[in-house]
Amino acid sequence: MLEVIGLSKKYGKFLAVDQVSFQVPDGTVGILLGPNGAGKSTVIKSIAGLLKYKGEIRIQGIGSKELEARRIFAYVPEMPSMYESLTVREHMEFIRRAYNVDTSEEELEALMGRFELLDKQDKLGNELSKGMMQKVSICCALLIKPQVILLDEPMVGLDPAAIKELKQVVLEMKAQGVTVLISTHMLEMVKELWDVTFVMNQGHILGSYTREQVGNEDLEELFFQVTGTGSGPGDPRQGGQ
Amino acid sequence: MYALFYLYRRSFRNRMRTVLKKPITYFYLVILLFYVTAVPYSFRAMFREWHMDSPEGMTAVFTLFSFWIIPGNLIAYARRKGLIYRHSDIHFLFPAPVGPKLILLYAHARNLIMTVLLNLILAVLCIYIFRVDGWRMTLYFLFSLGVENLLEAGIMILMYGSERMDDRSRGLVVKAAYALIGVFVLLGVLAYLRNGLSFDTVLAYLNSDYVQMVPLVGWYIAVLHLLFLGPSPVNVVCSILYFLLVAAVTTASVRMRCTGEYFEDAEKFADDYEEVLASRRQGRADVRLGKKRKLSKASVAYHGRGAAAIFYRQLLEYKKNRFFIFDMNTLVSLGAGIGIAWLYRSEGGFGSFNDFIVPAAMAYLIFIFSAYKGKWGKEMLSPYTFLIPDNPFRKLIFATAMQHIQALVNGVIFVLPPALVMRMPLSTTVLSVLGYVMLSACKLYILTVTEVAVGDVLGNVGKQFFQLLVQGLVILAAVFAAVLGFMLGGINPAYGLMILILAGAVAILVTISTLCFYRMETVK
Repeated sequence: MLEVIGLSKKYGKFLAVDQVSFQVPDGTVGILLGPNGAGKSTVIKSIAGLLKYKGEIRIQGIGSKELEARRIFAYVPEMPSMYESLTVREHMEFIRRAYNVDTSEEELEALMGRFELLDKQDKLGNELSKGMMQKVSICCALLIKPQVILLDEPMVGLDPAAIKELKQVVLEMKAQGVTVLISTHMLEMVKELWDVTFVMNQGHILGSYTREQVGNEDLEELFFQVTGTGSGPGDPRQGGQ
Repeated sequence: MYALFYLYRRSFRNRMRTVLKKPITYFYLVILLFYVTAVPYSFRAMFREWHMDSPEGMTAVFTLFSFWIIPGNLIAYARRKGLIYRHSDIHFLFPAPVGPKLILLYAHARNLIMTVLLNLILAVLCIYIFRVDGWRMTLYFLFSLGVENLLEAGIMILMYGSERMDDRSRGLVVKAAYALIGVFVLLGVLAYLRNGLSFDTVLAYLNSDYVQMVPLVGWYIAVLHLLFLGPSPVNVVCSILYFLLVAAVTTASVRMRCTGEYFEDAEKFADDYEEVLASRRQGRADVRLGKKRKLSKASVAYHGRGAAAIFYRQLLEYKKNRFFIFDMNTLVSLGAGIGIAWLYRSEGGFGSFNDFIVPAAMAYLIFIFSAYKGKWGKEMLSPYTFLIPDNPFRKLIFATAMQHIQALVNGVIFVLPPALVMRMPLSTTVLSVLGYVMLSACKLYILTVTEVAVGDVLGNVGKQFFQLLVQGLVILAAVFAAVLGFMLGGINPAYGLMILILAGAVAILVTISTLCFYRMETVK
């Protein structure tokens, strides 16, 4: 389970995120939605431990800054950045050692095979395209066998086959009881994945909605209604769950 | 820990493999070898002339360096700016279950191999230049490797990793570091007032007991005195204080809690660093680490149509720059010009090399020292350059015109000091400046031809080979023309013929560039 409790973050005098609280239970796929500048990236970077913040973030009940929490937490950033002097295979090996995970060669090869990286495993980080980097980033995150995974715009740069594979992987993780939080603008891509959606704007969570609550309503329409932006009809909804 | 070791080992090994595959590496190695063998001789002669070729002289030089290096590191760590992380570290390392203190040590250790290598070269040089005993230098090398690094790592963890220090406390540490420098300046001023200014009084000041009593920096200097000059009551006591400080800092850094709050500042610094790297790759020298570029408001009146817009856009960008078209190359040109003038005066001329020193230094500066592509490098990466509806020749000329103007300014700055001191005739001065502009143009268009003609075919290694080959051919032809001209009638015909050959080379290169540019637009 991922718990964000009273998260606030200031950049100088600017309050980017104000008292944000939400939780994503085990085996649930959460979607973080919001227009540009809503504060999503700040929330995501705080969860990943890359920012100083006020409030509390727990991963499976453990404070997110504890090493035990990091051991079971995986993060796929929006912009993948590879080590220029490490090959794809060496990235995997580094992650395997850093997280002390017991992954067999067969599992590793199967993972790379799923994302069509087997023939790229000896390529250096600076020889990869953006899409390839994203695939390596995803594979490294999956290699950890995380209990909580955070994916920031994971589909950007991926080819259709990889997007399909990633969706399948998300569903498999969900079935295994993994907590998944995805931040994305590509609503069409996650429509069959999500269980709960958090809509953010101007540093606040405007509402959280479960699939049961929303029923057949389109995620895009919901977004426009809640944020009061775009072409969606109706009044902005204030809070769901 | 093992993961970091793996990362360090593999990155180093792969980087070395990549570097050794590049022919330019061997070219730079030859230059480095030249410096490493030539510098000790000249340094030894220089220090002997100053009566500093002794352990006392070396201790004084080390003392002078530590006045700034130690407080400088302290300031950088207190501002959380001294360690370099890449975006890849933020992606893979920061969220990993690796202790934040270890991540700090990893960043520190990344430069360790290079530091050890440099220290080793320094130790050998010092034995040769300052006639220091081998065993003392070995002891210093081990001290530097072990104790000095331990203290620096401890200070780094305490300053960079501290989560209890707020911005105000960090500011105080910075002020304290400046105060340390202030103390040394004050002691220097007092020594000057008491003993006057001479080489001996400066040496006496640098080796004085007062300097060794200043905490941290002075205590370190005391250890150097103990190692190289033998024990004295002051250096023994201050050395003990230094080792106590090392023990205290190490213990405190081990015990301090650090959960990784510094990641945020490290990420900001990484962003700055990546921006600087990206700008260097584009051939820009104006972006400096940790210094946000301040752009002022400016306007420009566009004249002409089509590709002329590139020239005016560049002019607008330069007008927004703080130093307009003046950059690091301008400073280097000025330094080199003044250096030649100073050497001419101090040495009483260069003998039979008098006429050749300016063109030789010019060629060295342009072809070897300056590696930046300037704005042109950026233009070639921009799709707008290709999309502008104009012919490739006009695009090439307008996109590079500003760099020729820069070369003209830098040429004047470079040539004027030696011209004045050496009483060069006006005609030779003008021809020298023209020579500078032509050589710069050659370099620029060789880079262009390399990029557009063979860039994709040969890859990076091939590109460097090609570039070196063309540069070598052009220089060879220019030198041949200059020698021929000199034999025919002296320096002016030498310059005249050299410029003629370079102009011919520029014309050929521009034609090839235009054709290749057209190919890039239409085929690629």
